[in-house]
Amino acid sequence: MSIFEYNGSALVAMVGKNCFAIASDRRLGVQLQTIATDFQRISKIHDRLFLGLSGLATDAQTLYQRLLFRHKLYQLREERDMKPETFANLVSALLYEKRFGPYFCQPVIAGLGDEDKPFICTMDSIGAKELAKDFVVAGTASESLYGACESMFKEDMEPEELFETVSQALLSSVDRDCLSGWGGHVYVVTPTEVKERILKGRMD
Amino acid sequence: MKLDTSGLESVAPVWGAPGELVDGFAAAPSFELPNPADFDGFQKEAIQMVKPAKGTTTLAFIFKEGVMVAADSRASMGGYISSQSVKKIIEINPYMLGTMAGGAADCQFWHRNLGIKCRLHELANKRRISVTGASKLLANILYSYRGMGLSIGTMIAGWDETGPGLYYVDSEGGRLKGMRFSVGSGSPYAYGVLDNGYRYDMSIEEAAELARRAIYHATFRDGASGGVASVYYVGPNGWKKLSGDDVGELYYKYYPVIPSTVEQEMVEVEWEVEVEQEMVEGAGA
Repeated sequence: MSIFEYNGSALVAMVGKNCFAIASDRRLGVQLQTIATDFQRISKIHDRLFLGLSGLATDAQTLYQRLLFRHKLYQLREERDMKPETFANLVSALLYEKRFGPYFCQPVIAGLGDEDKPFICTMDSIGAKELAKDFVVAGTASESLYGACESMFKEDMEPEELFETVSQALLSSVDRDCLSGWGGHVYVVTPTEVKERILKGRMD
Repeated sequence: MKLDTSGLESVAPVWGAPGELVDGFAAAPSFELPNPADFDGFQKEAIQMVKPAKGTTTLAFIFKEGVMVAADSRASMGGYISSQSVKKIIEINPYMLGTMAGGAADCQFWHRNLGIKCRLHELANKRRISVTGASKLLANILYSYRGMGLSIGTMIAGWDETGPGLYYVDSEGGRLKGMRFSVGSGSPYAYGVLDNGYRYDMSIEEAAELARRAIYHATFRDGASGGVASVYYVGPNGWKKLSGDDVGELYYKYYPVIPSTVEQEMVEVEWEVEVEQEMVEGAGA
């Protein structure tokens, strides 16, 4: 198994009407053995910007700490939060700095930009940005996730319907993957609130 | 060199007059194998392509009332789950069971072949074959295919004249007699639960619950095990399937979700902010 499949992960972000949802599985494993079933893969950068990191867990933790540091510096200097597009550029630059010894991570960035327009993007491990209007996926279950999202996605979903769609797509995809699952973690973000929910999934 | 394929041949040849057959077997068909410099290595690539990881959990143990056999039902190809509903407990005959771990095709074929040989033994000797004999037949066949890339880790469980019998047989040619076995990638986790809870004098219900819990714990920790936990019992009258529980539901049965009580609730409170006074004081200082 490759280094990207060492810990196992599943991440998906989806766009709705003036809102977005970002969801991940909760398993942390060492190849086939499951170590933890409450691992946090999605972190908040600020109230309207979330970062999910799939791939090697140690690189995900380090990368998150570095990015949080850079964002805090930005907040001190500019006295405001970073826009999602700017943050995506920052992540891409940071990843390319390590072009010949990369972080083994695939980030998923989701945020609300100007005029509450939702923004999502994903990257490969050396910073190639992939912007999307509908959904982005990452992790060991990514192929199943592409299929599930493609069939379940609709334009302009309200937050509640978006939550249902993202949850179903995530759970059905991780049920076909040995290395991810054991529950789910979903954040649905609107201009006024952030709803965090934990999904009951198959624990095998 | 000639490879002996008599194990693959069906017993009743279509050709040849009835009088020519002496004891029912003509010369064993065979095919030529190449003579390369590295005989052990030249097939390795082909073997690696076919060789699936033994991603599964199966277990069997002997107790006072008979033999309990249990298995999960997941088939995985690397990281992808190809099926959640594979039958891993194979019914060789009404009083003998075999478990499947390793290559599905290998296990299914050779267990069926073993069933055929057992029936032939019954017809030739007018009595049922013992578990010892059946496991020896299988082990000898697998030993002759040693190094050819078969992947089988099986347990033969049955009830014969001497009582309950349990043997572990694998494709390396090993054959072990024992009271408790677990085979597959999830076996360390199953052993933990099985060894801890095992007692010789258990009732059938207790033994079934132990087997079910051992498989469930293995499916929780092992990524390559999951699906349905099947439990079979082999007694003096043959085998009987006791249960097949979906492990996704078993988790919430063993660890029910208790809705947490809300400790602090957010309430709207009206505050009056006195700003003007402070500003006046600052200017005065």
